[in-house]
Amino acid sequence: MKVIYTDVLIIGGGLAGLRVATGVKERGHDAIVLTLVPPKRSHSAAAQGGMQASLANSTMGEGDNEDVHFADTIKGSDWGADQMVARMFTHCAPKAIRELAHWGVPWTRVKRGDRTAIINAQKVTITESDEAHGLITARDFGGTKKWRTCYTSDGTGHSMLYAMDNKAHQEQVEIHERLEAIALIHENGRCYGAVARNLMNGELVAYVSKATTIATGGYGRIYSVSTNAVICQGIGQAIALETGVATLGNMEAIQFHPTAIVPVGILTTEGCRGDGGVLRDVDGYRFMPDYEPEKKELASRDVVSRRMTEHMRKGKGVKSRYGDHLWLDITILGREHIEKNLREVKEICENFLGIDPAVDWIPVRPTQHYSMGGIRTKYTGESQTLKGLYSAGEAACWDMHGFNRLGGNSVSETVVAGMLVTEYISDFLESEDANLSIHTSMVEKFVKKEQEKIDALLSRENGEDAYELRRAMEKIMMDDVGIFRNGTDLQKAVDELKSLHQRAKNIEVFRSKSTAANPALVNAYRTQKMIKVALCVALGALLRTESRGAHSREDFPMRDDANWLKRSITSWPNEEDSMPTMTYEEIDIKTMELPPGFRGYGKDLTQHNPQTKVRQEEVDTIIQELETKGASRYELQDALMPFLDKLPKKYQGKNERLGESL
Amino acid sequence: MIKKKSIDKTAARVDFIQSATGVILAFFIMAHLLFEASILISKEAMYQVTIMFEGYYFFGEKYPGIISFLAAAIGVIFILHTVTALRRFPASYREYKIIKKHTQRMQHEDSSLWMIQVITGFAMFFVGFVHIYIMMTQPSNIGPYASSSRVVDEFMGPLYLVLLVSVVLHAFVGLYRVTIKWGFFEGKNTKTSRKRFKLLMKSAIAFYLLIGLASLGKYTYIGLTHDFSDGIKYKSTQESH
Amino acid sequence: MSEPRTLTINILRFDPHDKNDVPHIESFKVKEADGMTLYVVLNEIREHHDNSLKFDFVCRAGICGSCSMLIDGRPGLACRTLTKKLGSTITLAPLPLFELIGDLSVYTGKWMRGLNERLETWIHDKESSFNVDALEERMEPEVADAIYELDRCIECGCCVAGCGTIQMRENFVGAVGLNKIARYHLDPRDKRSDEEYYEIIGNEEGVFGCMTLLGCEDVCPKELPLQSKIAYLRRMMLKTAL
Repeated sequence: MKVIYTDVLIIGGGLAGLRVATGVKERGHDAIVLTLVPPKRSHSAAAQGGMQASLANSTMGEGDNEDVHFADTIKGSDWGADQMVARMFTHCAPKAIRELAHWGVPWTRVKRGDRTAIINAQKVTITESDEAHGLITARDFGGTKKWRTCYTSDGTGHSMLYAMDNKAHQEQVEIHERLEAIALIHENGRCYGAVARNLMNGELVAYVSKATTIATGGYGRIYSVSTNAVICQGIGQAIALETGVATLGNMEAIQFHPTAIVPVGILTTEGCRGDGGVLRDVDGYRFMPDYEPEKKELASRDVVSRRMTEHMRKGKGVKSRYGDHLWLDITILGREHIEKNLREVKEICENFLGIDPAVDWIPVRPTQHYSMGGIRTKYTGESQTLKGLYSAGEAACWDMHGFNRLGGNSVSETVVAGMLVTEYISDFLESEDANLSIHTSMVEKFVKKEQEKIDALLSRENGEDAYELRRAMEKIMMDDVGIFRNGTDLQKAVDELKSLHQRAKNIEVFRSKSTAANPALVNAYRTQKMIKVALCVALGALLRTESRGAHSREDFPMRDDANWLKRSITSWPNEEDSMPTMTYEEIDIKTMELPPGFRGYGKDLTQHNPQTKVRQEEVDTIIQELETKGASRYELQDALMPFLDKLPKKYQGKNERLGESL
Repeated sequence: MIKKKSIDKTAARVDFIQSATGVILAFFIMAHLLFEASILISKEAMYQVTIMFEGYYFFGEKYPGIISFLAAAIGVIFILHTVTALRRFPASYREYKIIKKHTQRMQHEDSSLWMIQVITGFAMFFVGFVHIYIMMTQPSNIGPYASSSRVVDEFMGPLYLVLLVSVVLHAFVGLYRVTIKWGFFEGKNTKTSRKRFKLLMKSAIAFYLLIGLASLGKYTYIGLTHDFSDGIKYKSTQESH
Repeated sequence: MSEPRTLTINILRFDPHDKNDVPHIESFKVKEADGMTLYVVLNEIREHHDNSLKFDFVCRAGICGSCSMLIDGRPGLACRTLTKKLGSTITLAPLPLFELIGDLSVYTGKWMRGLNERLETWIHDKESSFNVDALEERMEPEVADAIYELDRCIECGCCVAGCGTIQMRENFVGAVGLNKIARYHLDPRDKRSDEEYYEIIGNEEGVFGCMTLLGCEDVCPKELPLQSKIAYLRRMMLKTAL
């Protein structure tokens, strides 16, 4: 048995994982990153549009600060987010972006003087100030009050990931590539690392660590069409679930991005609409202003996706052999802008559709895009139930997104959570609790168990075809757990998935029997895990009898704060269980800085919680009192919901802005 | 502060020398072929060009030694170019096979152009030296008849044919490559400028091959038809003495 | 529309872990569909013909650089290659030079990591301290754009596979390496001197080893200005050596 010891094992080499690895190295701890692919190929690279941070450098971002970013994030989440975490996040986003600038990201900069922009299909001249010249600029994104989304052309994630990986090189972070964690090693509620399979030679390796971090991204690939990379299969969430101890949060909160191209589901960035692109229907009519007169195409993602689906259901979609779609029109932005700021979009249109987006409209439709849910953690990133297990980025339900994530908040979360979790892990490592107290025989037991599972897959006869099961699962998720959901379909989905889960225990790897690199074997064990994750999503969606953010029930169109202002918590306590166990975690209104309210889209269908009114009055009183005393916005915030003491010391400082000196 | 480090400058110099000598040789060849093509106008024209190089119009006397000197100078540059360019050559048959397989697989024009450089360079390594050596040692045997005699009676014709094709290809492919290599006249759109350079290269190759072949044809024709019983010296129609 | 073509896909296969295996061509027949890419073709082969076929895709959108392979002899990204742009017989082979994992899957990650470590492709800035709360350092907008232009490299390895020089001399840094140096040289945050850069690439394994075959320039899926940047480095390095 091969055993490798380290301080921190990081599963996943995307932005979040690399940030944690780099950070703990800087604090003097050992770190090993396990990654399926070279880190620079992680799905983080695909984030085109940008990273939200309230720098307020550009004219259209003037007046922006943590407070505005916080309010946008909470409203966007439909009050499902953890407000404490969202505060920590918005406070640190400017720090994270500046750190990345220091590490080499060539953020697009403010250029002094006039420039033309397209706002609401009109040409507008924006004048940038002299003093902002050369600072990081920002573009408009959906659901935000200010232009806050910082970017590098439309390769933001790419440039961030490259800078991050290069930094990891500099810090000599150990990267173990093409190693897949297939089970966590744990005992007595404490996680001690993972069993990993080498995808090149099939060897099983036990990584024993004081702290383990899962940063494997989302689980979009449980749907047949997703904007996600093919490796975003939810294996990180699955191995956490399979411990029986760790829990997952809000798994039913799935985001659909309005503009993925048809049929392949590749994303065109929200920057298309942020920069002035519009949506059109079969008649070439711009329909969004009819539904959302105020924010139009730049309403929150869940809202735009629903409106598009509604519009297509009215027969206004464009018929194609791949089903209905709508048009994204960016021709009005002009060729120069497209070739400079939306270059990736242009390449995608040319290569996958054979069209020129400066001339032609792009066929788009809402497509699975982001997993708000994930491994449920405390604000420190540590699992609430499995000590020593941490999670960061899309893999986690740290819960700053609640039921809908704002565009530009995801890459931002990866680096902010990465830098914070780094400090909490390091603090943990420097405490007595961190000592390893696991016997090697226990480690061996875990390895042996995984080996047996693999052997069984390879040697079983007359078993099930993994591909068939997987396609069935993807179709169920697509058809019955989509943008609009209802009890009947969800019940059907849960029943079918439950039976798929049973059948998956009997998977056989046909023909391809190699114990080394073997894609069929990989597909087999991943399918088993994916079906479990899918079941968590479907069950969560079935039980949540309300509509909140991206979770939209046709049979329960109201947001029900009275009964459902809570997080879904999923676990799988016994391996033999045929279904996951659902419990709920209350979201406490009494401590909210921003009590539940109306998001401002469509009709207000909220069923309010009686406590909301009480808290709102409290908040109003505090604000009034302090404002008459002339308190600063920091003092005001601190009175409503103190959070600074939760942050690592080094990140407690205020952020400098053009109008706000240190 | 940043320390000035001592660096090994060899690589930069060698690379520069290779390009610089190549450019000199290419320009030399362009002139050489044009002068030589004077035979296409008339024997007299070619003779006048020859004695010009022998210094007649500067000193009033003919000094074939000047040609020797020029040939030697070109010889030195030629050697410098050969030595510096040799480091680019496949160092073994194995390397040659790799690059050959690569170019065949890629079907890529610029990679194939480089193979032309290797093959023509290899050819000139032998033929070019012979030519330069003869020019150094027999400078006075240049002229409408002398040169024709060398082509036909001394069986230099086939050698010159190989040399002509090699040198024209090598020179213009080389000039194109040097332009791209150092980024001369790059312009804003390198794809466009490269396309233009390539067209220029191909036109120049066609033009020089044409006049080169025509000249060689003419020398061959003279060599075959002229009566050399009077010797190989040409008598000028304008010369007074 | 006319009858869809039946494509013959010839794949160079080899499993280095199978002692009895030798490199061989295997052919598969696939019915062409509308908008079909090699990503679709290969997954179809794996799912319906041979589930042991090894290849790499990650983003399948031409962004991550995982799926580079020789497509009819030329390096390219399989995910964004439409079959309609190819003939009805398509030959696929793994990228040369990189360690073979199996069939079309190669270990580009290891090679690129080695390159990055060798060239130290990160910002070298020992002197300045970083204040996490303060305004970011300013940068001219044009400079930022120019850096990004080169930062777009996706380390797919196409330029390496398309480079004749590196096929013969494996220690050559290749266009991917030279482009990275050009990128850091542009970057005002990187404080390395010209002499320090010369130390790294002012040799036969660096910029002076490049033979200007332009395979890199012509196969780069991101259309990076490799020809122009290598020429620029060559001039700059010569100037440093003068």
